[in-house]
Amino acid sequence: MALFESFSISSSGMTANRLWLDTISNNIANMNSTGRPGDPAQQPYRRQTPVFSAAVQQYLLNKNPGRGGPKTAGVKVTGILHDGAPPQLVHDPSHPHADPETGYVAYPNINVLNEMVNMLTATRAYEANVTALNSAKEMALAALEIGR
Amino acid sequence: MLFNNSSFIVLEKQLDASALRQQVIANNIANANTPGFKKSEVSFNDQLRAALDTKRIHLQANSPRHITARHPLHNIAPLVKTTEDTIMTYGQNNVDTEQEMVNLAANTILYNAASRMLGGKFTTMGHIIRGGK
Repeated sequence: MALFESFSISSSGMTANRLWLDTISNNIANMNSTGRPGDPAQQPYRRQTPVFSAAVQQYLLNKNPGRGGPKTAGVKVTGILHDGAPPQLVHDPSHPHADPETGYVAYPNINVLNEMVNMLTATRAYEANVTALNSAKEMALAALEIGR
Repeated sequence: MLFNNSSFIVLEKQLDASALRQQVIANNIANANTPGFKKSEVSFNDQLRAALDTKRIHLQANSPRHITARHPLHNIAPLVKTTEDTIMTYGQNNVDTEQEMVNLAANTILYNAASRMLGGKFTTMGHIIRGGK
């Protein structure tokens, strides 16, 4: 039944956006996870971003060949990228992570404003998926009423 | 004959098309933040209008030994097409969430209307079978 496909598509969208929210929370929680500059064993936290891509469903391709049917069914997260931006150096010689020669501490390059905006985007996208799921549910219930 | 008249077929096809459209809209919304994704749309009204065109001549059968063609409404199917040539946000994505939400609401109402009409037809038929009792 097509409506159950729709349920799983919406739930994939909800899962992906919740994962995005998780990485945003992780980025904000670790915005002060410092490291020692130039020491590969003590690197600061690096910002994480999930990579979304459209999930291809073979079944739909087979069902509608040449009709240009829905080639994708839902979204999937293909990986989590670590931001390669260089860390921010803060001069604080008394910090345990401070470089003994220069006195600099490496802070992760996380922009809280950026994270907040992404958080709004992820929340709204999640809500949009919930709305789509609710209307699919409403339609399935309406179909049950036929012939009552 | 009982369930083979055109309004039953139209309503059934409309329910199928709306269910497919719901699936396509859900897919567009799920991929609203996917870089490079292109939205799809379901077209059904044009096919329906062409099949309902009364100027076309259909094979009519008034004896069981006549060769009958299937009702032209049986052959219509919704068509899914992908819009490739627009860009909505960065990353070449062209999903307009507001538009998808409006389409979603309209599609749900259409589905509910079709299912209610189909239910009403069955109820009427039940009355007729029971002789109006």
